[in-house]
Parts: sequence; structure tokens; C-alpha cells
Amino acid sequence: MGNFTLGRYIPLDSPIHRMDPRAKIMAMLFVLIAIFFPAGWIGYGIIFVAVSIVILLGKLSFTYILKSMKPMMFMMFFLLIMNCLVLKTGEPLFTIYSFTVYSDAVFQTLYIVVRLLLMIMITTCLTATTKPLDMTLGIEDLLKPFTKIGVPAHEIAMLISIALRFIPDLIDETTRIIKAQESRGVDLKEGKMKERIMAILSLIVPLFVSAFQRAEDLANAMEARGYAPGEERTRYKVLKMEMRDWILLFCAFLLLVGMIVLSRFK
Amino acid sequence: MSITFEKVSHIYSDGTPYRFVALSDVDLDIIEGQMTAIVGQTGSGKSTLVQHLNGLLLPASGKINVLDHVIEAGSHPKGLKSLRGKVGLVFQFPEYQLFEETVLKDIAFGPKNFGFTEKEAIEKARHAMKLVSLGKEFEEKSPLELSGGQKRRVAIAGILAMDPQVLVLDEPTAGLDPQGTIQMMELFRELNQKHHKTVLIVTHDMEQVFNYCDRVIVMAKGSVHTHTTCEEFFRDSSLCNSLAILPPALIRMKDALKEKGFTIKDEMEDIHELSKEIAREVKHG
Ligand SMILES: Nc1ncnc2c1ncn2[C@@H]1O[C@H](COP(=O)(O)OP(=O)(O)OP(=O)(O)O)[C@@H](O)[C@H]1O
Ligand SMILES: [Mg+2]
Repeated sequence: MGNFTLGRYIPLDSPIHRMDPRAKIMAMLFVLIAIFFPAGWIGYGIIFVAVSIVILLGKLSFTYILKSMKPMMFMMFFLLIMNCLVLKTGEPLFTIYSFTVYSDAVFQTLYIVVRLLLMIMITTCLTATTKPLDMTLGIEDLLKPFTKIGVPAHEIAMLISIALRFIPDLIDETTRIIKAQESRGVDLKEGKMKERIMAILSLIVPLFVSAFQRAEDLANAMEARGYAPGEERTRYKVLKMEMRDWILLFCAFLLLVGMIVLSRFK
Repeated sequence: MSITFEKVSHIYSDGTPYRFVALSDVDLDIIEGQMTAIVGQTGSGKSTLVQHLNGLLLPASGKINVLDHVIEAGSHPKGLKSLRGKVGLVFQFPEYQLFEETVLKDIAFGPKNFGFTEKEAIEKARHAMKLVSLGKEFEEKSPLELSGGQKRRVAIAGILAMDPQVLVLDEPTAGLDPQGTIQMMELFRELNQKHHKTVLIVTHDMEQVFNYCDRVIVMAKGSVHTHTTCEEFFRDSSLCNSLAILPPALIRMKDALKEKGFTIKDEMEDIHELSKEIAREVKHG
């Protein structure tokens, strides 16, 4: 559980870490959309280089990002098999037991894998360099214009920040309860059906109890400090767009436009 | 048979930016049949250390010997379940692990997992309830409707019902009322002296260390700073002071008297002995 890396904030000090979360979120959206334009290998090459620069500036390591890809390996492998079975266009590459694999199957899979890799790289750039709290501030600000049509921007942001705040806690709590029950002889890997159900129950019940307890405690603590949803609140931290934030936004926008143009000329 | 640690290290989240060395090169020889206290500032690695005793955490390097079980870094340990039956570990704030519908069933959960029949397990649970002074009226209650202190007792009873040879308690009295704390500590002493259990107890309370324990292990920043007998540890307050630990009241009193010119012998068991010493001094001096 402790090795769960996808989407975690990495506390470092870098120019990317110090950027305005709103700029980072918008830039991420631009580049994510850019990926969906079929700009070919050149296009993906450009995006890859751009994202790599951000990763280097953010002092993130590539092995770390590759590691967070791990849970998706199985899915990609499954995709490759499916494509090999279904796609029968392009050049025949090789034959195993009278079963021929065509080039399109491999290329199609590669295409998806590359896109996925890029998407994970881009989102990691955001989540690894932005504190959850800053992220929610950013989301709240970006949703502000939509409050006019009834979108509860502040409530959504608060919801997200509370959920994010509790994920590591719940993971810790789960490991704790697993350990406590293992000390009482619970065997999660082996045992008969009935024992396994008992074992799982012995985890889920305490987990729910403590999750509800935490939720209640937090609600009380917030109310005790005068929190009321919908009320006007001042902010402790005021976000301010600086030159570098505008540059990031501009570059991301340029990338998006570039991809659109590239996909037209193909 | 004894419990030994040889050059044991533990690293949390190895291979990620969150990597943290919580134990480094710990050498320990814990004497069986004794009551040993583990003290140290918060974050010094006490909980990490005790979780190695029943194989919940495995060492990143080094070797642990517990009751003929060998846990070595790198190899997958065998017989962990039987080890967990012999080394009962009560977690910090164990009340969160209760899940059965009734107190009795929850306490019987451990023994059942270790292969006792339903009837035997219930019997053991009843016995454990008596040990932690939970009356019969609690048997059919839901663990969720108990007070914090009562839950704590149920959780401790859940481990005692397994009848382990070694009992490891991570801050068992934190948050209990003074009366309950004394009851618990008396219980652990009784288990140690009458039933010859090896007891390891993580605590922040120096009075408990002084009054109940034979030996004391001081952890600091993931290493064993001091491992010695309690008499040695409390001989004078300089060792405590150097560790930023407040010595027990009796030791502070003794030191204050010495400073004022009293001659008082170093071995001091309890308050009666101290008062006798003072009386002697006053009469003669
Ligand atoms: N699951 C974990 N992942 C990463 N680091 C951890 C984990 N558990 C503990 N640590 C770190 O290891 C160090 C030792 O923790 P440990 O729980 O052993 O301390 P402790 O001495 O029991 O403290 P306390 O008196 O507060 O209970 C702490 O600095 C803690 O931050
Ligand atoms: Mg602890």
C-alpha cells in the first residue's frame, strides 16, 4: 500500500512547484486535448519533448513516472492481445501456428500506449508538483465563472480537497487494521471460504467505523470553527498569476494549436 | 530461547521519494521472563521496532530471532502465523480493530483463528475478560457502544485470549484514567510474575517504567540509545536529563534531597524506603 505512487504530491522545491495551480491545470487541459488530435509520430514527439522539459524542471524522475505506469501494464498487454486477434490490416509481420499478426495491430497498440504514457506523464506533472490544497484552490477559481449557472464551485472544491486529504489517511488506516487483525491470526492469503469472508469482514467493519468517525469528527471540527457552506469566505492564500505562469499557459496553448495544424496537414 | 535483533534496519516506502529509514542497525537482546520498557520520543521508531517481533514488518537488513523463529532480511519467513500465536501484539489505540457483534465473540476471534474450537475459544475469551476486569454484563454488548477505555480492555483481552508467551503492548495505557492505568499495569505485572510471560511495553510514562519494569530500552532516531536495567537507568537523573526525559518523582525527590546535603543510598525501591532514609538522616543529623 505504501508504494502507491500514482497521483501523489512530491514535496520538492522547483520552478514548476511554485507555479500558479490555475495555470498548471489549464496547461494540462490544453496538452491533454492536444493529445487527442491525430498529429502522428512527429506530433507525439514534440509533446514528449515538451513534457520532458517540464518533468526535468520539476525535478521529477522518469523512473518514478514509469513506476506509476505499472498498474496499467496488464491492461496494455491485454489490449495488444485483443488487437492482434481482431485487426487484420497492414503488412503481415509473423506467423505463429497459422495465426498471423499484422503490423496494424502492433502499431495501433503502440499508438494507444504512447498516448497513455503521455497522459500519465502530463497528469503526473500536475499532481506531483501541486499541493492538494493549492489544487483545490485552483479548481475553485476556475469553476468560479460557472457559479452563475448554478455550479457550486466552492462546495465542489471543498469536497475534492477533503477527499484528497483523506486518501492517505484511509490507506494508513487500512494497513494498520490489516496488521492488527493479522496479529490476531487473520490470514488474508489462505484459508477456507468461510475464513476468508470472516477475514475480509474483520477489515471492512473497523474501516467503515473509523471512516464515519473521522467524517463526523471533521464535520464537528469545521462547524465549531464557524464553517458554513455558501457563506462568503476570505482566503488565507491568494493566488497570483506571474510572468512564468502566463508563459506556461502560452506554450501549452501553442502546443495545442500546433497539434491541430499538424493533424490537418497529414 | 530469547529474542535477539542483529543489525536490523527498516526502511519505509523504499524506492520512492518518501523513503524513510525508521530503524538502523538495531542490536538487541531481550531477556525472556522479564518486563522490558521501550521508551523514546515520538517518531523514534518504537512502534516500528515492536512490529518486527511478530513479523508484521520485515527487516530490510539484519536478522531477528524470536522464540526459535528466524526472520532474516531477503528471505521469506516461514511459520509467521504460529509466531503470531506466540507473540501477542497489542497495537497503539487497539480499540479500532473491534468488529464482531458482541464483545465475547470479538475476544474469541483470535483463539478461533489459531485453531481452537468455538467452545474452547469462548472459554478463553471469558477468562481473558476476567483478567481485564470486564464483568459478565459486557459479554453480549456490541463493542461499538462501549466507552474508549472499555474498548481498550476488550482489545487487550482479544490478545490475552490467545495466551501468547510474549506479550507486546504499544502504549496500552495512553488515554486511560489513572485508576484504569494502574489496573492494567498490575495485570501486566501479574502476567509477568505469575504466568512467566515476557512482557514488552512501549510507554511514555517514566513512573510506569520505574514502578513495574525490569529493564529499559531507549530508542532515539531509529537506533537503540541505551539498553540497561531500570536500577541502572534511574540511579541518578543525569542519564534521564541528557535524554530530555523527566525522571520519576521519587528520583527527583532523592536528587533534591542529596543536593541539600542528605546522604541517601542509590538503590531506592519505593516511597516507603525513601521516607525511612529521610527519617534516619533527620534523627542522626
Ligand atoms: N507507514 C509508514 N510510512 C512511512 N513512514 C512511516 C510509516 N510509519 C512510520 N513512519 C515513520 O517512521 C518513524 C518512526 O515511526 P514509529 O511509529 O515507529 O514511531 P514511534 O516511536 O512509535 O512514535 P510514537 O511515540 O509517536 O508512537 C516516524 O518518523 C514515522 O514518520
Ligand atoms: Mg508508536
